[in-house]
Amino acid sequence: MDKINRRHFLGAGLILGASTLLGKETAQKIITDSKDFVPPVIAFPEKKPLKVISDRPPLLESPRDIFTQAITPNDQFFVRWHMPDIPTYIDLNEFRLQVQGSVETPLSLSVDDLKSKFEPVEITSVLQCGGNSRKYFAGTGPATHGVQWGHGAMGCAVWKGVRLKDILNRAGVKGSAKWVGVNGLEKPAMDETPKFFREMNIDEALSGELIVAYAMNGEDLPYLNGFPLRLVIPGHFSDSWVKMLSEITVMDEYRKSFFMDVAYTVPDNDCECIISGSDFEYKRKPIAVMKVKSVIGYPTPNTVIKKGSRVKVTGVAFDQGKGIKEVMISTDGGKSWSATELQKDYGKYAYRPWVYQWEPKAKGEYTIMVRAINRIGNIQPQVNEIGWNAGGYQYNAVDSVNVKIV
Amino acid sequence: MKKIFLLTLFLSVTAFSQVAKPIEMPYVDYPMVKGDHDEVAQQYCLICHSWGYILNQGKKSRPYWSGTVAKMVNEFKAPIGKEDQQIIINYLVKHYGYESTAQH
Repeated sequence: MDKINRRHFLGAGLILGASTLLGKETAQKIITDSKDFVPPVIAFPEKKPLKVISDRPPLLESPRDIFTQAITPNDQFFVRWHMPDIPTYIDLNEFRLQVQGSVETPLSLSVDDLKSKFEPVEITSVLQCGGNSRKYFAGTGPATHGVQWGHGAMGCAVWKGVRLKDILNRAGVKGSAKWVGVNGLEKPAMDETPKFFREMNIDEALSGELIVAYAMNGEDLPYLNGFPLRLVIPGHFSDSWVKMLSEITVMDEYRKSFFMDVAYTVPDNDCECIISGSDFEYKRKPIAVMKVKSVIGYPTPNTVIKKGSRVKVTGVAFDQGKGIKEVMISTDGGKSWSATELQKDYGKYAYRPWVYQWEPKAKGEYTIMVRAINRIGNIQPQVNEIGWNAGGYQYNAVDSVNVKIV
Repeated sequence: MKKIFLLTLFLSVTAFSQVAKPIEMPYVDYPMVKGDHDEVAQQYCLICHSWGYILNQGKKSRPYWSGTVAKMVNEFKAPIGKEDQQIIINYLVKHYGYESTAQH
């Protein structure tokens, strides 16, 4: 027990005390199977009530109906941390972003420095967890490892901040530099546990598209989305969008780590999936750019609709930044397909909203399906075509929703 | 009119400002099956994460839970002795899994 941080240990005692003394939020029934696990819906700080898959570290899933909006409101934006010890207060007078390692001039920047001494830039981009939609792998194959997210581990926001390139150039990257490591203020419960540390190639870091964001949809970042600073990597899964970003370390050598080499990896083959045998037999690579995907925001599953109604089916589509060409829809379980109407274009990394006017003419059960294709011809796989990987990453098969017409 | 403008300005400033005091994180009491030394699983697993992590995985095979406990010890450095590791694996397989040699 001496290995556990004292502060954390005291915190745990407090938590146990609170559960018996205060109004605790309890999922009373003893659950032993994820099929029966209905996460409690609770409001966390600065958030509307969201599905609480875990309170510590906080894992909060957004409801499906947020996909009726092109921009995800901050108070419904999903939350996913890796470590249990997250600062609950940050004093901006003391907070500094350190830029260190293989640089000519190490920097120690306040949020005010970033706002006043650098050119501000803005980008609208999807932020999606690598494990988003993971539970749907179990529809056609074995359930994968990891948190069984529905579609609600993604959102799209307008991010404002400073180019990572500008920060690195201000510090002056040395010629020997090959990698950039990033980490934030979240801490493990024990000192021995590896920190959440992510790395990227120096060329990627200097590409000009990555930003250190201090605002999200025109406001400070919500605490649980990484206040006061978060890295934004448009087009990429969120595993390196480090929250509460506090250190940028320029390195000459790659640093081996669990979070780079084991977590967030897929088999290093063409389908990025397991063809046969065990997942441990494959050489692995980190997940990186996102795959073309579309989801239905309305109707939600099991909606009951009156025959003859004019139903406005809506949702969003996105890809790695090539741009959505078309979103097809089927209301007969995939037998026939029609085009949806693409709505306003918020930029190549943003959600592309789509709409389809539907008038169901007969009573009965209907399966609505959507399938997006991007400008370079990437198309969503059918559910029975998607390649399986043990980590349950990058799920992007055709989305479907069952509704009842009465 | 001026009043309304000032009021609007005030509201927008407060809405955009940072959290002034520490946030308070809710606590969720995810219930665990009692017995078979659930206290050992509680003692170690809950150091780093809530029981929601286990519930959300669904029923898993013995190799899966053995591998997961090994990951917690080897990668995340959970201070669990060999004997307690076995107690936790048996508890998870019995109540949150099934006997099988399948990996998943």
